[in-house]
Amino acid sequence: MAEEMKMRATLQGDITDVKVRMNHIMETGARKDPKTGKLIPPHFIDQVVATLNGKTVLDAQWGIAISRNPFIGFKVKGAKVGDKIVVNAVDNLGTKFSGEVAVAAR
Amino acid sequence: MKMNNSQLMLFVLAVCFSFAAPASASESGKGKKAAQLELKNPAYAGPWERYKGWPETSWSEFSTLQKIVPSPIGKTIKIKGSIEGDPKKGEKLAFDRSRGGSCLACHVMGNPIPSLPGNVGLDLSAHAIWGRSDEYIFNYIFDPRKTNPNTVMPPWGAHKLFSVEEIKDIVAFLKTQKTHSVFKDNLENPTTRPVPEETRDNLDPFVNEAMAAMEKGKELYSREGPNKQSCTTCHAEPERMFKSWAAGMPKYESCLRKVIGVEEFITRHARATTGDDFLMQSDENLALSVYLRFLTNGEPMNVDAKSKDHKLAIKRGTKLLNTKLGQLNLACVDCHTAEKGGNKWIRGQWLGEFRGQMDHFPTWRTSRSEIWDINKRFQWCNVSVRANELPPGSPEYGDIELTLSVLNNGQKISVPGIRH
Repeated sequence: MAEEMKMRATLQGDITDVKVRMNHIMETGARKDPKTGKLIPPHFIDQVVATLNGKTVLDAQWGIAISRNPFIGFKVKGAKVGDKIVVNAVDNLGTKFSGEVAVAAR
Repeated sequence: MKMNNSQLMLFVLAVCFSFAAPASASESGKGKKAAQLELKNPAYAGPWERYKGWPETSWSEFSTLQKIVPSPIGKTIKIKGSIEGDPKKGEKLAFDRSRGGSCLACHVMGNPIPSLPGNVGLDLSAHAIWGRSDEYIFNYIFDPRKTNPNTVMPPWGAHKLFSVEEIKDIVAFLKTQKTHSVFKDNLENPTTRPVPEETRDNLDPFVNEAMAAMEKGKELYSREGPNKQSCTTCHAEPERMFKSWAAGMPKYESCLRKVIGVEEFITRHARATTGDDFLMQSDENLALSVYLRFLTNGEPMNVDAKSKDHKLAIKRGTKLLNTKLGQLNLACVDCHTAEKGGNKWIRGQWLGEFRGQMDHFPTWRTSRSEIWDINKRFQWCNVSVRANELPPGSPEYGDIELTLSVLNNGQKISVPGIRH
């Protein structure tokens, strides 16, 4: 299995730039299988929570409008080099994914 | 058992041993080992159907790379007196993107000039003062080959892109073009517009989504197929074994009597070994192709141009590059050589030359959110000139891939690429 999440966090001055790419099919439930003509059941990430040293800095609710292999980028203030950023995601089938990265200097 | 000749041929050809893939580590001492290829079935999902979301029109009355449909040049059409068309209608047609790009794609014209005109053809903004007769203008648009046999301009009338009445309206519009073009800035002027440059880091997984396919390819490489074998079974240490293999592809395959690239090789070799059926254009095929080309990153393209079979393929490929295709009657060389339309603009799109177009395939297309291998790129070129595309892995595409790769020899590979 390829990595569930690929993460990068770089400190730029006072602000940490965090980039996350998740591996997920993000099926909307509205797409048909071209071979069988039947609907492909929905399978998408619906919750994303990012923490900096255990404190929540981002809490998002996602839906079917997010693309396959979603990418999310955000900026956090006040992190130092070596601080831990964790992203936890849950999909509509209850599967949990997570990734973590230490903040690096630019 | 009695067999007729063709059955016997099939039987003999069912598995072929080629010398195209590197041997595994344990056998490297013995030199290169023959690679098995499955030969019976097509390498793509057949019968071939055009991709969803692509234009649906069939242009079967015009030439393809496989089938030439003669396009005779007719006689000059006599026009008595001056043409009284509707210049307003003519302007609309000249700017209509749905009619093969129309005039503005290649010519500067209009009052005011719409944004991003092209410069493959002449600046026609002061065409009315050139002193051409109406009959001359009409016939030039209807079929310019009568006047200029070397033109790249499509025969708009002869190939039924515009009707006689519509061309008369366009002539009427051209008669209103009396002032030399003035552009508001360098971007609008196609002769000063800066050449686009791809500066994105194509190997950064946060920039190029195809890097995820590379990882998927890496994973597939060691995944066991139905025959309980994976690529690793014979080719351990892929980083070392495949350091330069893909840089020497495509190759002529004598058992198939055609040139095949990395993608078709993957399909046929996997069928004969691991038992996987990685059809061309499937996610798995693209992922493995990206991975095998990724392993050669930094290597110069190094496709053999000297062997007898390759010389013949280049001869065929060169002929194909010069073959006029489709309703727009364009050959590859018409848009991609500097002597003709290359290094110029069709509307906002830059037409590059052959060199520099091969080292980044398969490539991520940000405008389509898809990985395109070189076969799909050729198919899109065909559809763009309104010619029916061929299935992936067609011998004609192989010949063209080989010819273009040889022209690109020495270019450093950087896969997966990223392009608009």
